[in-house]
Amino acid sequence: MSAPTFLSVRGIRKSFGSVKVLHGVDLDLPAGSVTALLGENGAGKSTFVRILAGDHHADEGNIEIDGAPIAFRSVAQSREAGIRLIAQEIADAPTLSVAENITLGALPNKLGFVDYGAMRSTAQRALDSLGADLQLDAPVSSLRLGERQIVEIARATAGASRCLIFDEPTAALSDAETKRLFALIERMKSRGVAILYITHRLDEVFAIADRVCVLRDGRVSLDAKVADVDQTAVVTAMVGRAVASHQDHHVYAETGAARLVEVRGLTSDSFFNIDVGVAPGEIVGIYGKIGSGVPELAGAIFGAVPHASGEILVEGKPVIFRHPSEAIAHGLGFLPADRASEGLLRSRSVAENLAAPSWRRLARGAFISRRIETSAFGRWHKTLKVRSRPDGAERIATLSGGNQQKVLLGRWLEAGSKLLLLVEPTRGVDVGARQEIYQVLRDLARQGHGILIASSDYEDITEAATRAIVMVRGQMVAHLPQNEISTARLTEAAGGGAYA
Amino acid sequence: MPDTIQTTGAVPASTMRARMKAPEWGALLIFLLAEIVFFTINSPYFLSWPNIVNIITALSITGILAAGGTILLIAGQFDLSVGSGTAFVALMFAIAAQSLGIMPAVGVAVLVGVGIGMLNGFLVTVVGVNALITTLGTLAIFRGLTLSIGGASSVRITGFDWAIARPFLDIPLSAVLFLVIAVGIAVLLSRTVFGRTIYAIGANENAARLVGIRTKKTLFLGFVISGVCMAITGLVSASQLGSTSGTTGTGLELAVVTAIILGGSSLKGGTGSMFGTVLGLLIVGVLNNGMTLMNINSTWQQVAAGTLLILAVSFDQIRQRFIRA
Repeated sequence: MSAPTFLSVRGIRKSFGSVKVLHGVDLDLPAGSVTALLGENGAGKSTFVRILAGDHHADEGNIEIDGAPIAFRSVAQSREAGIRLIAQEIADAPTLSVAENITLGALPNKLGFVDYGAMRSTAQRALDSLGADLQLDAPVSSLRLGERQIVEIARATAGASRCLIFDEPTAALSDAETKRLFALIERMKSRGVAILYITHRLDEVFAIADRVCVLRDGRVSLDAKVADVDQTAVVTAMVGRAVASHQDHHVYAETGAARLVEVRGLTSDSFFNIDVGVAPGEIVGIYGKIGSGVPELAGAIFGAVPHASGEILVEGKPVIFRHPSEAIAHGLGFLPADRASEGLLRSRSVAENLAAPSWRRLARGAFISRRIETSAFGRWHKTLKVRSRPDGAERIATLSGGNQQKVLLGRWLEAGSKLLLLVEPTRGVDVGARQEIYQVLRDLARQGHGILIASSDYEDITEAATRAIVMVRGQMVAHLPQNEISTARLTEAAGGGAYA
Repeated sequence: MPDTIQTTGAVPASTMRARMKAPEWGALLIFLLAEIVFFTINSPYFLSWPNIVNIITALSITGILAAGGTILLIAGQFDLSVGSGTAFVALMFAIAAQSLGIMPAVGVAVLVGVGIGMLNGFLVTVVGVNALITTLGTLAIFRGLTLSIGGASSVRITGFDWAIARPFLDIPLSAVLFLVIAVGIAVLLSRTVFGRTIYAIGANENAARLVGIRTKKTLFLGFVISGVCMAITGLVSASQLGSTSGTTGTGLELAVVTAIILGGSSLKGGTGSMFGTVLGLLIVGVLNNGMTLMNINSTWQQVAAGTLLILAVSFDQIRQRFIRA
């Protein structure tokens, strides 16, 4: 059975200045088929799909649609050809309504006047096909992240599209929403739509894709039927070598040492009556999907978001943190969920980013120099395996997601934090760097750090945690000792089965 | 873990960026030199010491305000009240000098300047009004107060001419003061913890808070520094002119923002430097001075400065498009 090829790409090359991003990419997208596109950060996935979407122009190479050559000069041309990109970053109009956002760019109108009736029915149909229950008139800004993602998907699928490109669509979705998205993809597939699905998650590839294509360093390193490959082959194609899997497990042995932090009955509008403690050498994983209150709990312990009631004890003494600086002074460190908006000082150097919480301690009087920051970076650069210049002088924005994350983790090592609160520590981090981060966390725990991982990615918990807690809608629903932590137990407790 | 394999990949990108970084100042310096060459050819007087001193002296008030403004813009904030603040300080000083004498009046001027800065800082950091709107409001308030308290005529100030004294190298004290403040702010921004926190807040206020920076306190202090600059320029202006009026300092806020942006600070915050601002000031100052020497009407100087600003920022936008990969 060979479906007709909708889109065929040959020898695509693209450079930005002197940096070559794509060195000749070949890819076929058959109609009525799902092709998964994988690759580490920086492999060129985003550049490639932006070329397909007409947002970037290829330097060399041919694109054919239905066998006829075509040269996209604009996003409008790509859309006309029936290609829709659901980008990773949400690009909606926050002040407009759900219905307006879904029909954005193709607003039904009569002689230039908006046809509100048609607009609402188009939007409703698109939402229904996703099984989503959203108010058509609600401004998009009032929705949560996953719901906004749904609106984006609804917009792309509302019109007559022939090719859908999803760029990591499930990052912000709940399990139930993910299942509905997969069902929608199946329906689109049966209607003959060609689907390109970018993801970091191998389980998704095996759940929905027919073909898998891996980009590495701007070239296709694997292009095969999903049925013909296994996880190891895909990962090897992504990183170019076999990844040492988690042989090393850190096992926490109770030492009787006082807990670094002890939370009692902590309550806010996102979580209720939470009791949790972290001892030195322990990695406590708190697992919960969006809406579970997990990230908010970590933020509240750090004093970054307020809590209504309950008690926090640091090394046995009750504390109230009104500002993160007070938590830092008590030996806490915090890795926020959203690296771009809460973590990075994008326009500043790598070394400056790492030294930021320690400026006062590192300064000579009121003065601080680049040299002091460079030597601070030098202390952690090797331990964390940060791929950057050894002096960390480049802007942090130039590093890949995984390396940025390592620098943000290094912040708290330089600051001497004993307790690390890590929210989504591997979000947007590629496979190789992920394993390195887990290894760093295990090593830190062995050295006596206490670590709390708050994550919606079960791999963070299964790989690193020495005990796990599952939260659903602000409540703790399960405690798992280390030997009971498994993907199945976590997803089951969080209220959804695995996809397949 | 084979470290060597992975590091090699990152090197070309980062060295390219290091190379792309140089022209930020390079282009400004080249432009300034081009101006200097052009005006030297057109006017033999241009490159003489007295004229060089003239250029710097003419910049001193704008320059002192731009020093405070650079701190705020790097932190992603604005202060548009500097021009009317200068006028209000000068008027309060003139009135206080008549009844209290010069030295107590200087104290009054400092208090007024600091007070304006604290008012702006309070509104922005405590109440949470956007800085642009806050200082647009205080711009109008202090201009209006200056006009209604001072009346239409100018107020004379006597026995306060220190700013035009030239104790060494024939440089007026106002210009010396500008140079000292510029160096001071340059050191503050590039070498101190306070400077680092300013850049951090401008780069990402949220992230800055989460690494323990007291962002609101720091921003408040930034507005107070801008207020201190107004106190100084109010005193310089009163001394230079020997009087003050309702129109003193009109339009200074635009000249200040023009110089800072021209000097490479981004409106989004997080980048920029005092050195860049000084270059921006000199580019505008040299242009105005040279055009005056060539007998070009001063109204055209405004057209030139405005064009220059747009050209510089357009150039920067185009350059950034090429760097972004």
